[in-house]
Amino acid sequence: MSLYDPKPRLKLFVVIVLATITGLGMRLAKLQLIDTKEYTGESRNNAVREKRVTPARGVIYDRNGILMVDNEPTYTIMLTPRYFDEDQIPLLASLVNVEDSVVVQKLAEARDWSPFQPSAAFANVTLDIVSRVEENRYLLPGVTYETTQRRRYLTDGHLGHGLGYVREISRSELERRRADGYRPGDLIGIAGLEKMYEPYLRGETGSEFKLVNIHGREVKPYRDGEEDQHPVSGYDLHLTLDSDVQALAESLFVGKRGSLVAIEPASGEILAFVSKPDIDPRIFSGRVTGEEWSALINTPEDPLFNRATMSGFPPGSTWKPFMALVGLQKGLITENTVYRCRGGYRLGNRVFKDHNGKVHGPITVKRALQESCNSFFFNLMMQLDVDEFHKWGTTFGFGNTVDFDIAEQDAGLMPDSAYYNRVYPRGWTAGYSINLGIGQGDMLVTPLQLARYTAAIANYGNMKAPHMVRSIQHSETGEIVDLDLPADHQIPVERSNFEIVREGMKMVMEHGSGRWAQIPNIDSGGKTGTAQAPGDRDDHSLFVMFAPFDDPKIALAVMVENGGFGATQAAPIATVVAEYYLTRTLTPTGKWRKDQVMTLESQPLEESQ
Amino acid sequence: MRIWYRNLSIDVIITWVALVGVGLVAIYSTTNGPASEYLLESVRSNFMRQFVWALICTSGLIFAMLLPVRFYQTAAWPVYVITLILLIAALLIGVEINGARSWIRFGPVQLQVSELAKVGTILAVAQLLSAKRARIDTVRYAFLTALIITLPGILIVLQNDTGTALVFFALVPIMLFWSGLPLINLVLIVSPAVAGYLSIVYLPAGLIFAIVITGFVYFQTREYSMAALSALLTAGTTLVVSLALSKVLQPHQVARLLSFTNPEAEEFRDNVGFHLVQSKAAIGSGGLTGKGFMEGTQTQGAYVPEQSTDFVFSVIGEEFGFIGSIVVLALFTYLLLRLINLGVQMKHPFGLMVAAGTVGVYLIHIFVNIGMATGLLPVIGIPLPFLSYGGSALLAHTAMLAILLSLHLKKDEFSIYGY
Repeated sequence: MSLYDPKPRLKLFVVIVLATITGLGMRLAKLQLIDTKEYTGESRNNAVREKRVTPARGVIYDRNGILMVDNEPTYTIMLTPRYFDEDQIPLLASLVNVEDSVVVQKLAEARDWSPFQPSAAFANVTLDIVSRVEENRYLLPGVTYETTQRRRYLTDGHLGHGLGYVREISRSELERRRADGYRPGDLIGIAGLEKMYEPYLRGETGSEFKLVNIHGREVKPYRDGEEDQHPVSGYDLHLTLDSDVQALAESLFVGKRGSLVAIEPASGEILAFVSKPDIDPRIFSGRVTGEEWSALINTPEDPLFNRATMSGFPPGSTWKPFMALVGLQKGLITENTVYRCRGGYRLGNRVFKDHNGKVHGPITVKRALQESCNSFFFNLMMQLDVDEFHKWGTTFGFGNTVDFDIAEQDAGLMPDSAYYNRVYPRGWTAGYSINLGIGQGDMLVTPLQLARYTAAIANYGNMKAPHMVRSIQHSETGEIVDLDLPADHQIPVERSNFEIVREGMKMVMEHGSGRWAQIPNIDSGGKTGTAQAPGDRDDHSLFVMFAPFDDPKIALAVMVENGGFGATQAAPIATVVAEYYLTRTLTPTGKWRKDQVMTLESQPLEESQ
Repeated sequence: MRIWYRNLSIDVIITWVALVGVGLVAIYSTTNGPASEYLLESVRSNFMRQFVWALICTSGLIFAMLLPVRFYQTAAWPVYVITLILLIAALLIGVEINGARSWIRFGPVQLQVSELAKVGTILAVAQLLSAKRARIDTVRYAFLTALIITLPGILIVLQNDTGTALVFFALVPIMLFWSGLPLINLVLIVSPAVAGYLSIVYLPAGLIFAIVITGFVYFQTREYSMAALSALLTAGTTLVVSLALSKVLQPHQVARLLSFTNPEAEEFRDNVGFHLVQSKAAIGSGGLTGKGFMEGTQTQGAYVPEQSTDFVFSVIGEEFGFIGSIVVLALFTYLLLRLINLGVQMKHPFGLMVAAGTVGVYLIHIFVNIGMATGLLPVIGIPLPFLSYGGSALLAHTAMLAILLSLHLKKDEFSIYGY
């Protein structure tokens, strides 16, 4: 038997060693050089979490620089089901002060969405709760928190329909706006200014990249924050609104349904913007459950309905200045044309009556305004073609939506012959349209349109574009956004004719239906109106006015639904607001009016049903 | 007069220091990184403990150098017997850690006797195979070799430390290779393992392997009996594997076996495939240059379980990239080749067999550990020599190295008459 010598096997052994290690080296090359992209993605998905950093939404100031709306931090407890230890359900429940079953339910909801991603479980918790959860973080893997911001409202007024509100983006809205960078959980302006100026207010969301450990806890910034993007705060809105006046105006509407719009005639700036009832935007900063929400909106008062821009009603006698201006400009009447009022206007076999059939006798246009004589204006209307009426109405801005900061609007109704042909296919006569002369019948105006019209009269026909935002500025960069306001519109009526009508409106305040609402020591022009309400309800109470008479600083339109005569509710509201705006105080008379008007109410909706 | 340290292999010691150093760096990253405050206190102290173990091993290395060559030769059998006694003792009075009863408490320290058993076993095998008769009666000695290695292997299986036991079983063909067993027999012994592996990865591959190896054996031996034996072993293994997978094993056992081929699959990635998914993500995402020391997201986020022990290679792969991984492989390669070289230089079978056994143990550990971390093999829990956290393993692996260095330092003491 030959002697075995191990030496020759050395070479083979070396080959085996080298082959083994070469094999491992090739495997490493495959993982680390060829497939590295795939694994880089995998490890990043694992361990790096992008946290969206909500930018500070632009804040909102009033015309005097008073901060009306800003933001405050709010904390949300997040759950990542994959990492959560179900034995700790009672601990978490006790820390956030809920029943165990609530935690179980939140956990199930979170799992439905994603077992690996944190989902919001308890929103709007206090800093105190967050700190207690953090103290127990070793026991609570998969429980994290996020800081977001919510709106904080600092003034007394709601300005509910003006500001609109901010809510978490809905699923359908998200689908539409994904291209704009919205993600689930983002806030978005829903109505009013918050919606219109959403692109400016929103700012740019930032990102923070965090290293997350196997228990789902953020342990440190990823790559020392190299990839982080700081959020850019939104632009601030500087409003034309006067927050004190707004608060006062809103307080006057206690118990009422209606609206007030106040404009500075020389600029078109909105000074106050009221629509009642409304919703306190503060509630959107908290959590609104579905039940609370439907309880809020399913009331006959419809608090989400923006009456200032969406409610259309016949303007009643507030329409008479318009008729007078058209009549004067078209030469149908002059300042001195005398019409003989017999307490009604006979058309065929129908008589269109004055208020209570009052006989005004021989009357000029100014007196007709002061006395609110219907017959005078029936007579004028009989000399106007409906299409002519429509053309002039449009010139004064009626029948169309207003190019304005608030998108929720109704166009109103300014009829023409085509309208009558459509609605009355079996034929129509002057009897159908004669009521237009006194602001009744088939026409609808909105408070915003009415206020702009009043401001235009105050301003001798130079109709400024109403607007609620004076400037949009970035607080950090100081950058100012171009507002691009619509151009002024000059109503083609001579100044002398405006002077006649304004004079008539002054007489209203001095001797007519507005005399009980005259601002102490300040001359003004105004016109009451009482519009027939649909159904069997009380009339709408209307009032338009501007003051001071010679250099108008404020023009208002007020409407109180089912509030009766214009002089009883709408007029004192307007005059108290105007007095306070012009003098920054209220005289004893003003205070008395304020107290009086606060006792008055709209006829409740239930009563007539 | 020749100076005493003429035969001291300083380069091997430097390589050893480098490997232990890389291990300490990796362990430091896993236990003292920027996110370490979220780790358990006991885990955070791992670095210091390993550092102390490294110091202990260094002094052990020096001490081993002082012992005479004869000591190792005469101590081989007693050490082996003590090893067996310790293994049995562990079964009876041992401490159970991670389900394995392979630990015995000595005062303040717990030692994993299954790791230490490698030293005694290699000494015993070396002593056995350096006997003069071994070179004549190769088959008989091959049988004895297999017995000596398998005995502690079985005891370790009983301790439920399958990973370490596997090292012993894998050592059998390597030592048989050195015992002088005809290579074709060796092929027969190894082929079922390869057939089994291939059958798990891809069943037809197992069958093709069975056919090829049977043909190979036939053409090498021209004996039908050998070819039939080969066919029986390989095709039989393939059949057993396919039956086991489909009929015998429980679903969770099947999942454990199959998952390494596709750990990313939906049904595996969160359970049996989790280790591999995370380890592959760590190593693969390291790319060419790695993410940087203490910058690995997988490592700092503690995604790879056992990342300072069995999966320590994932830390190197992630934080130091392909370059770092290759440096570690290069260090290992240098060490292994150099150790073989030392064995050859000794001109005495005992020295060569200790070198062969040591290199064999290291090679099995390196292949299985890195193969596992890179997803080539199923998860088999054995440490990477010198790098993984764990005192017993470091001690055992350093002891083997120390004995080899000591033998080489004093190689002139070997009797020129050999055995």
